[in-house]
Amino acid sequence: MRKSFAELNYYEMLDIRPDAAAFEIRQAYDAALQIYQPGSLVSHSFFTDAERREILSLVEKAYRTLIQDQLRKAYDDELVRRGELDAVRETAPAVKKPVGIFSISRGRGRQPAGPNPESLKNRILQSARIRELTGRPALSGEDLKQIREELDVTLEEISQATKIRQDHLINIEEDCFARLPAAVFLKGFVKSYLKYLCLKPAEELAARYMETFARLSQSQRAEENK
Amino acid sequence: MAHIWPIGGGKGGSGKSFITSSLGRLSAGLGRRTLVIDLDLGAANLHTLVGVPYPSKSFSDFLQKKVTRLDDTVVETPFENLFLISGAQDPFDIANLPYEQKIKALRAIMRLDYACILLDLGAGTSFNTLDFFLLSQNGIFITTPEPTSIENVYRLIRSVYFRRIRYCFSVSQFKALEEEAIEQFGEGAFNKPECMMKVIERDHPESYRELQNDFNAFRFRLVINQLHKRDNAVLGLHICRIIEKHMGLGIEFTGNVSYDDHVHDAICQQVSFLDRYPYTKTAGELRAVGRQIFQPAGRQLMLQYV
Repeated sequence: MRKSFAELNYYEMLDIRPDAAAFEIRQAYDAALQIYQPGSLVSHSFFTDAERREILSLVEKAYRTLIQDQLRKAYDDELVRRGELDAVRETAPAVKKPVGIFSISRGRGRQPAGPNPESLKNRILQSARIRELTGRPALSGEDLKQIREELDVTLEEISQATKIRQDHLINIEEDCFARLPAAVFLKGFVKSYLKYLCLKPAEELAARYMETFARLSQSQRAEENK
Repeated sequence: MAHIWPIGGGKGGSGKSFITSSLGRLSAGLGRRTLVIDLDLGAANLHTLVGVPYPSKSFSDFLQKKVTRLDDTVVETPFENLFLISGAQDPFDIANLPYEQKIKALRAIMRLDYACILLDLGAGTSFNTLDFFLLSQNGIFITTPEPTSIENVYRLIRSVYFRRIRYCFSVSQFKALEEEAIEQFGEGAFNKPECMMKVIERDHPESYRELQNDFNAFRFRLVINQLHKRDNAVLGLHICRIIEKHMGLGIEFTGNVSYDDHVHDAICQQVSFLDRYPYTKTAGELRAVGRQIFQPAGRQLMLQYV
């Protein structure tokens, strides 16, 4: 046989989970009042007056206890002592904050997908190919692409994280000088690209790329003029 | 094995017969051989709702031994797959069914070979109604969102509960249990099945286990009929919640059926509401209730064979 109403704990009385937030407790209390208050259609003729009064006082007590953090904490401790509740919930429930309507990852603490910086750094240290490419005096878009592929990072990830349009990234990697943006922007783009891949020192590498870029684009233009 | 759905509701006029006929039509529409039985003995009118105003045979022919098998009292209706055992032209004292005849009727109903049998029960909580209701574990309760009707449906649920308990004990034992419950839980406890169950748990553990198994197997459902626009739409959910919490009986809310004057029109014209007004809100809700009720039945049947 199930427990009678007076034997239920406050959470069961109000039909809420033990980690319910304050607004959920308030809603549950409202719903319980709708059911149990005198003149309610739901419980019409179900209880005698005395029973109804008793239930309402219990519901009231449950609400007053759970809505106040300190009282609730004490009550939770007692439930844990009685073994009705697991002791996992030590902290108060996190207050639910509003979420921007355009943010897609609404879950709590979800990192954007992709490799974490630690593993990237490790891979950079281990790879001989990357060391060779970054050790050279020149750094072209082709080299950047090789480094990226060595690290197993996709263009989409970089584009998402740095907010740089993908076609710019493709143009950089394929050394399409004619279609690249102005040098000021280009330098910034390459720097963010390098930072995302955790390549150090990003500043210096970007400068080296810009030099290479200037030299290569000049020679290309000279060839075209001939 | 047939699925039997007793449909009861306590108060008269809550729409038991109308819902029975509609559910019968819906079940037949699914291609199942469906039988509706009018067990509102002495106040039968289901035949009018399913389009057989003057049935040639009736339930009492079986009880009065004019025919030997209950199967022979089945009449066809204008709808495909839908059959009826009517209670029309019963003798005036049919409502007071003697015990032996009731048992005979119950056994005969159990043996009928149909995919789906719907029992239209009478108002009130006479033993006839309760026993027919307990024929199956799939009872459907109907109530309207009015205090009078809700009061009666609670009364009916408690009575069904008590009737099931009563099966396990003799009259004197039951009397002793009642007194024990009053002694333990105070005046008014004889009216509360949950108090009596506590007494049984202590005094008769083996009967308690049997009863508990049985109650767990029950799949009662609740339909709120004639819901007006301004009524509380979650009333049914709340009723189920309070029954589960305070009576310890599992009951599932199946749906609301809105009030619609067209139902009255359809009944007056003696045509099927679902055919005459298929695009009304009420018809849509009836179909939804039908889906809720008839779809899981297949799964349930499978489980019993496994």
